[in-house]
Amino acid sequence: MSVLLLRLAGSLQSWGSAARFARRTTESAPTKSGVIGLLAAAQGRDRGDDLTDLAALRFGVRVDQPGTRIRDYQTAHHGDTDKSMPVSERFYLSDAVFVAAVEGDGVLIDELYRALRAPAYLPYLGRRSCPPSKPVELTVHMDVGLEGALAGERWHAAEWYQRRLRREKTVALEVIVESRSGGDDPGDTLRDQPLSFDPRHRRYGLRTVRSTSVRVPNPLARTVAARRTPPPDHNPATVLKGV
Amino acid sequence: MYLTRFRINTARVGARRLLSSSQRLHAAVMSSFVEAAPRHEEGGPRVLWRIDRNAKPEVILYVVSPDRPDLTHLVEQAGWPTTGTWQTYDYADFLSRLTAGDTWAFRLTANPVHNIRRTADEPRKRTAHLTPRYQAQWLLKRQKEAGFRVLEKPKEQRRLAEGDEHQLIIHGRDPRSFGKTEEATGRKNHVSLVAVTFDGRLEITDADAMRRTLTSGLGKAKAYGCGLMTLAPVG
Repeated sequence: MSVLLLRLAGSLQSWGSAARFARRTTESAPTKSGVIGLLAAAQGRDRGDDLTDLAALRFGVRVDQPGTRIRDYQTAHHGDTDKSMPVSERFYLSDAVFVAAVEGDGVLIDELYRALRAPAYLPYLGRRSCPPSKPVELTVHMDVGLEGALAGERWHAAEWYQRRLRREKTVALEVIVESRSGGDDPGDTLRDQPLSFDPRHRRYGLRTVRSTSVRVPNPLARTVAARRTPPPDHNPATVLKGV
Repeated sequence: MYLTRFRINTARVGARRLLSSSQRLHAAVMSSFVEAAPRHEEGGPRVLWRIDRNAKPEVILYVVSPDRPDLTHLVEQAGWPTTGTWQTYDYADFLSRLTAGDTWAFRLTANPVHNIRRTADEPRKRTAHLTPRYQAQWLLKRQKEAGFRVLEKPKEQRRLAEGDEHQLIIHGRDPRSFGKTEEATGRKNHVSLVAVTFDGRLEITDADAMRRTLTSGLGKAKAYGCGLMTLAPVG
């Protein structure tokens, strides 16, 4: 089993799982369907192609920088008829950074890594208007599991965010991993297990996720020595005689 | 010579009025003496004062003066009239015991300035040193003449390759700005100055010069709470 790590950083991201109709919400972390779609696109698969091998990968994500949720109010007119389309609300995550991981067969993981280096269709972060701000592919781990790879990766938050938490030597990051199939451990269910991306009939199944946290070192933590020395006490009267 | 210590009750309106203007505080300090101070000759003993802000509720006024002051008016305006007054100490005795080679902790609030011009045809103008590096250089340049030497730090305690050689902390940078009526012309004027507090350790190299520094002050703006250095035992 190998693990492929991805860095999902961009000024805007949008990861919908239950969004329908005119209100397009986003989850607070990337969805499996979104990341599998990104990988399939990098490989050049078409919408209707079979993706059972990709959907079988185990998925996990670490929240390096949660970002803020912003709302966009969108109007549009139909290209041909110029009739106004329904007004829609679109939600995005702004200034967020995630590390996503997929675990699976070594050959497939290698293929995906190479596909990300030279993608057939450009990757985007959940919605086509949200390009990544940095290369998406990070590394391939051969020997550690999904949890180990996510726990061992360095903190990818922006410098200003790391400096904001400079009082903390290590920071706790939320990790959301998929439960092993067959296991009956309780968890939250999310309808983002991709079955088909066919534009005529997209289908998603339920999958169980579990939320934990890992601690990673903060490279910009302030050391004790760097703190300002307080001025010493000074009382000149201790050696003087009163009159 | 006398050294007087007075704790200011910062909760009182009078205290805020005084602390907000060095000009008013100067007037309050000067009116603690029965005899109006004669024009001091250059380098002679004079009235010096300083505000130490040790903590938010602990603000202390130190006055060093040739005559014994009476701070009753300050207690009434900005003190604790029934429980706390002021303490005056005999400073002359302490000064006479200073000898070269002694090591003391010191505190000095001063107004580090230099005279510069930006272009060749401009008149020279007194300008404040704003960075700790130049403020420290300002003090180190005057130490020999003032009769002391700021002690050096052991090598392993230095945090910078350059500019951290001395046992010296600069803190409490306080830009002051207040209105003033010129005595001679009666015209309104505006004064702005930058006061910083130096804390450190020194060794006396010349006891007479040190006594002069302690009683007549160091640097500019002596009327406005700058230039008073005090010594305390090395803790």
